[in-house]
Amino acid sequence: MTTPDFSDPENLTARERQALECLIKRLADDEFVLAERYTEWQVRAPTLESDLALANNAQDELGHARLWYDVLGDHGYTERELVYERDPAEFRHSTIVELPFEEGDWADAVLRSYLCDVAEELRLEALEASSSPKIANRVAKIQQEESYHREHAQNWLERLAEGEEGHERLQAALDRLFPHALTIFEPCAPPHGENANKTNETSDDEPRATGSDVEADIVDFGLRTATLEELGEEWLAIVVPYLESLDLDVPESGQTGDGEFEFEVTQEMLPDERGRDGIHTDAWVDLYDDFTHTYRELGRSEPTKIMETPE
Amino acid sequence: MIWEVFRQAKTGEYHTHCGNVHAPDREMAKQFAAIQHGRRKPTNSLWVVPREEIGEIGSDEVAFGGTTDKSYRWATAYNTTGTDAREVVESEDEQVTAEKQRGDD
Amino acid sequence: MMDLGTVKERAGPREFSPADDLPREYREAATRMIEFHANSEIMGAYLERPFIRQSPSIDRKLAFSAKVQDEIGHGQLLYRAAESLGVKTREEMLDDLANGDGKFLNCFHYPLESWVEVPMISFFVDGAAMRRQATLRRTSWEPYAHAMDKVCFEEGFHVKHGEDILKELMTGSRKEQQMTQEAFEEWWPRIIQFFGPTDDKSTHHDFASSVGLKQQSNDDLRNAFLDQYIPKARKYGLEIPDEPRIRERDDGTYAVEEDDLDWDEFFTIAKNEYEPGLGQINGRKHAQEAVDWVRETIERDTPAASGHEPQAAD
Repeated sequence: MTTPDFSDPENLTARERQALECLIKRLADDEFVLAERYTEWQVRAPTLESDLALANNAQDELGHARLWYDVLGDHGYTERELVYERDPAEFRHSTIVELPFEEGDWADAVLRSYLCDVAEELRLEALEASSSPKIANRVAKIQQEESYHREHAQNWLERLAEGEEGHERLQAALDRLFPHALTIFEPCAPPHGENANKTNETSDDEPRATGSDVEADIVDFGLRTATLEELGEEWLAIVVPYLESLDLDVPESGQTGDGEFEFEVTQEMLPDERGRDGIHTDAWVDLYDDFTHTYRELGRSEPTKIMETPE
Repeated sequence: MIWEVFRQAKTGEYHTHCGNVHAPDREMAKQFAAIQHGRRKPTNSLWVVPREEIGEIGSDEVAFGGTTDKSYRWATAYNTTGTDAREVVESEDEQVTAEKQRGDD
Repeated sequence: MMDLGTVKERAGPREFSPADDLPREYREAATRMIEFHANSEIMGAYLERPFIRQSPSIDRKLAFSAKVQDEIGHGQLLYRAAESLGVKTREEMLDDLANGDGKFLNCFHYPLESWVEVPMISFFVDGAAMRRQATLRRTSWEPYAHAMDKVCFEEGFHVKHGEDILKELMTGSRKEQQMTQEAFEEWWPRIIQFFGPTDDKSTHHDFASSVGLKQQSNDDLRNAFLDQYIPKARKYGLEIPDEPRIRERDDGTYAVEEDDLDWDEFFTIAKNEYEPGLGQINGRKHAQEAVDWVRETIERDTPAASGHEPQAAD
């Protein structure tokens, strides 16, 4: 098939539009929610210097979320609809970004950052040649900031892994986080209600992902140049050997056969809540209530803008 | 051994990098620096630092100040009403200068 | 060692640096003052941090995160300026802050519960702080003055962002305006007390002034603040409460009736004995203790720099 022209958002078919929105929402939601969690470390990080560094990363991620949400401005969406007044069940971020941090669990913070940053790098790479010029144009800016995040995370991981307590805490965090990290590569459910119009046999009220066409469309339309499976395998091929080099045991690493770098994400490796399918942990609802608190308390109807719309 | 030298012209000013000296130890580095870097330009104090102890990170490794829009962290992003306090105006002016210098790179 | 007489004689702006052998009285007074300032940066940031999450938009959240980040950066600069006096290490100061011995600004002992209270800190208290900090660029302890250069450079963003929040609230719905006025009435006396008691009641004022650490008296700073910020408050439609009474002088400047302020509460706070403030102190203490293990991990086996002995020839 020929690659559709995404340069004119007015002239997209319903399917093209849905594919683009599905791709962007998950990118934006991941960045936004991860940033929310990072800010929890502000004024609580191990040292003043590390406090500043993580605050920087939080702001970077938030800035990236802002750039991605803005892409949907072409489709008539505003921050109000996309963030402050969206039903929490309509967010499509992976559950790894929504889990709360235990007080003082810096091992979780740096490990989670590493797992997400590697996935982010791979995803961004697969967007460099996106058929949507707006997406392709925004990738480079974001990539430059992400590389600092990953190096920062790795420096900390290597430091912590050397100490006995650090190593133990990293292992515990890995056991807890790893299944959730795998949900990054799970297919997205369409927005609630959209299934109703289709002849899909699982289309009841549950917004579970059905391996629907939208994921195939994202790749077929050239919006992203790698499939979720490919991204997941690449990710495993990077993180598993690295974590093992720190003497950490990776639970259900997905390694198959004798091949050194053959990996596969299987259903057994995944947690019950996958985020992408609209099923979230309870922590997400609390987080949502907290970040929308002022907006609701003051009866606002429009989130405040400070910066100009990105070009 | 190479020692980097930082010169402070007057009491209260900043020590800024002005050059280096070859010297076998700290005491001799100080003595050499006093002559090499303090004999003509106004000098109140010199610091000497072993070259090898200096770590460096450059713009090829990190995008200083970020690559996405960070205008929210500058006073110029906000419009206020009425006369601002003198010190607020001064701060904003310094920020405008810094922003301009960043843009010139 | 320099004697106190010489210190007082020479006490000009940025006059003394770690290269000077200063008497204990100077070093202790300077440590007390800078440590208080540094602690206040941390506790101010601690008080405001929930509003990073509760900001009502992504842009506000970015600005708020950046602001809190800057305050921690100011703490970093100030603890270093204090540490360079050789009396206490940063770790000792942060531990004292955690265990309730470290002192900090009165305003950061009060609870901050709603977004409408945010500009009371971010505009008025930060504006007051900036007024004082601008004078401290001429303090006699050079590292403190250098820290102030950087702090003042950044702080303009904080005050203007705080003012922008106030403006938005005061041009918002009637409900927002009313809530903001109520918050202002509650905070106004505390804001005025920011500058501390009048000069004749201030315990440390005379010495700190005589050695050039402090550049302007509490009264002068407070009056200068009122002259600047009363017109601002009125411009945004805030009504100045009747108490404390404020006299407008013939030349349009203002002075406050000190006796209308609650100084018992102020001194209870100054001793770290005010209940909400204790909650803040202990909350931060838990957070600090929870990451003790990380500091231990990074400090153990960490050579000063690369492990290289700079004295030796090689």
